[in-house]
Amino acid sequence: MRLITSRAWRRDAAAVSSFRRQLAYSSLLLPIVLILLSLLLGLYNIQPQTIVKALLSLIFPQAAEGISATELTLILRIRLPRVLAAALIGAALAGTGAAFQGIFKNPLVDSNLLGVTSGAGFGAALALLLGGTALMVQGFAFGFGLLAVMLAYMGSRLYSSAPLIVLTLMGILIGSFFTSLTALTKYVADPLNTLPAITFWLLGGLTGVTWNSVPLLAAITLSGSLFLWAVRWRLNILSLGDAEATALGMNPTRLKLLIILCATLMTAAAVAVGGVIGWIGLVIPHAARLLVGTDHKQLMPMSLALGASFLLVIDNISRTLLPAEVPLGILTGLVGVPILIALLRRSQTVW
Amino acid sequence: MRRLVYLSLIVLLIAASVNLQSQAAQSAPFSIQAPVELQPALSALYKARYNAEPFFVERDGDLIATDDPAFLPSGMGGVPPHFLPEAFFLLARPNAEAEAFVAYAVSADGQAALIEGGFLPKSVTVTDQAGNTIEVVQPVRRVITPYSIATYLVYGVGGSSRLVAGGYLGTRDPVGAARMTALDPRFPTLSGYTLNQREINIEQVAQLAPDLIITSARTAWLDTVRELNIPFVLLQGESPELLKQSVLLVGQLLGPNTAARAKAWIGYYDAILAQVVARTQDITERPKVLFVGESPLRVISGEMYQTDIIAAAGGQSVSAALKGYWNDVNLEQVALWNPEVIVIAPYGKITPQTFAESPEWAIIKAVQDGKVYKMPTWIAPWDTPVMDSVLGVIWLAQKLFPGRLTLDCAQEAMFFFKVFYDHDLPADEIAAVCGS
Repeated sequence: MRLITSRAWRRDAAAVSSFRRQLAYSSLLLPIVLILLSLLLGLYNIQPQTIVKALLSLIFPQAAEGISATELTLILRIRLPRVLAAALIGAALAGTGAAFQGIFKNPLVDSNLLGVTSGAGFGAALALLLGGTALMVQGFAFGFGLLAVMLAYMGSRLYSSAPLIVLTLMGILIGSFFTSLTALTKYVADPLNTLPAITFWLLGGLTGVTWNSVPLLAAITLSGSLFLWAVRWRLNILSLGDAEATALGMNPTRLKLLIILCATLMTAAAVAVGGVIGWIGLVIPHAARLLVGTDHKQLMPMSLALGASFLLVIDNISRTLLPAEVPLGILTGLVGVPILIALLRRSQTVW
Repeated sequence: MRRLVYLSLIVLLIAASVNLQSQAAQSAPFSIQAPVELQPALSALYKARYNAEPFFVERDGDLIATDDPAFLPSGMGGVPPHFLPEAFFLLARPNAEAEAFVAYAVSADGQAALIEGGFLPKSVTVTDQAGNTIEVVQPVRRVITPYSIATYLVYGVGGSSRLVAGGYLGTRDPVGAARMTALDPRFPTLSGYTLNQREINIEQVAQLAPDLIITSARTAWLDTVRELNIPFVLLQGESPELLKQSVLLVGQLLGPNTAARAKAWIGYYDAILAQVVARTQDITERPKVLFVGESPLRVISGEMYQTDIIAAAGGQSVSAALKGYWNDVNLEQVALWNPEVIVIAPYGKITPQTFAESPEWAIIKAVQDGKVYKMPTWIAPWDTPVMDSVLGVIWLAQKLFPGRLTLDCAQEAMFFFKVFYDHDLPADEIAAVCGS
């Protein structure tokens, strides 16, 4: 009797796990569909067949015939880079959020835990204060994001062993240090021109995205996502605890360092292009967990796909709802917080 | 015999009085030609300054004091110094002492002397732009203007000698700071305080002992300063009518001379706007203008003063339906508007080059036609609700309707700064600024 039950349970478990696997992998199609749909949306009214033709013209240049220069520019130079950037940034923030929640064994963290976003925010504010170009702002944001995490990590090494709690504490300290520096930058910024620029940047938005910003973002996000995907089953072991991981023949410290480095690069690249966009790294992994469970083998692809889709939808609202753009940081917060509350209440999942 | 004595006495008296008069003419540094009704006020002023009686003449005086509008310089000749609301001085010939006397007459001390003599009111009561009624004791000797717009209004009406601290705009830029120092050597001192709409160092303010604070209706620290019992006047000038009101308000608070200058500016502003209207009223299709801030996709809302400047210059702002302050838009929205002219705010770091070099912006008509311009600035940015904004209207109208206006930006700028800021601009530089 007991044996049969056990078999039945295993069969069921296998069925659930296979369903979840299928769900996780098929979810990867969602961002692709959404990217295509998002190209149809915009304040400027463009016929769908024109959009298809414009996209085809990337491969067959003669397909662009009969399309006005305005429409062609809007589709290929404005909408396309922007939806790609939205998908990449969403995937990066959600994927790194899932990874951080796994290695820190804490459901309430995202990739800003070690101060990368605060550092990047300060870098961008500093570049704006110095009157830098868009490229300089992105470079500074990226560089200071990495610097913040490096400082947090080095700070935690001051202790002979580096338990996660010290690293977390250092991350929070460094993060608030850079937040104060950002406040200082705003304080000394010229209220006429620099201050509004800093404020808008800190709220996040993809208004100014062109092809210039996409290549580096794509390279870092795609290779980073591949890495996170490759270590997805190791994340399962890491989330059991260091002792278990060591017992299973892994070097948890080195692996964590690699994951943190990868997540930091991805987040810094995302923040450098899109500004500070909150909540995605926190909320999306929970939504993904609700759908596919806590197994990182499914959770990681699901988080990446949901993150990309969520930011695509949010950015579509941001760029089409009103003539003026609604900052992404505001929309993700307004939509993300109720979702998180609902999920935390309904979900009985073990984190 | 007795008759002879009387006669000689009379002769002597006459001779003595003539002698006395000529002596007075010799001792007084200048003669004043003034109608009888102005003489008591002038005597009071003169006594306060020299402790002596002035030397009045009926014609050909060194200094002419009059309340006859016929004496006002015709056309756009400037605003003579007013010592009473309707009475002013004209210098008939160069005379250093007379000039000093005129300067004294319009100063706080001169105003105090006239108040003591009962020729000017002891206080003025105004209703500010937040709707508060405030009584301000005259003369105002120490005014602070945390709201930078108010600072420029005080300069523009000729009241900067009463300024003890103020907020400024765009002076973190060395060029802006150098221009400000050229206008007012006291600028480094005046700007050296923690003083703006968001914050104020209340102890510093108490130490400055101002007798008037002029600031914005949106100032954050009003409750704190109420504790000090210093009268404050709130401004909110984000439309041509409100701007005129705030100029007049600042003028009235600082005495008859500044009030006259404020009225003269309102006349000048109205005349310029009317001239633009007259020259452009037959145009049915108003040029579509996009006004951007410190980034190409940050545009004005319909509630900002820049919208009024565009309208006054004969154009229409494409982003007039937007609300609030600066708005971020995307290029699709700009493509929908498809503006014919793009104006860049004077304080941003972007230039027409930024637009010309962008492949994305090439789809916008203004960029295709090369009609992207950066608004000039000299002292205060010409797109803010200050008196200088009249130059912004002239400059923009010239760009929108080349050849249609007889107004010339550089010429008007020279005139404007001479009359209202008492400041001579370097002609070549202002021409370059206007041409940009």
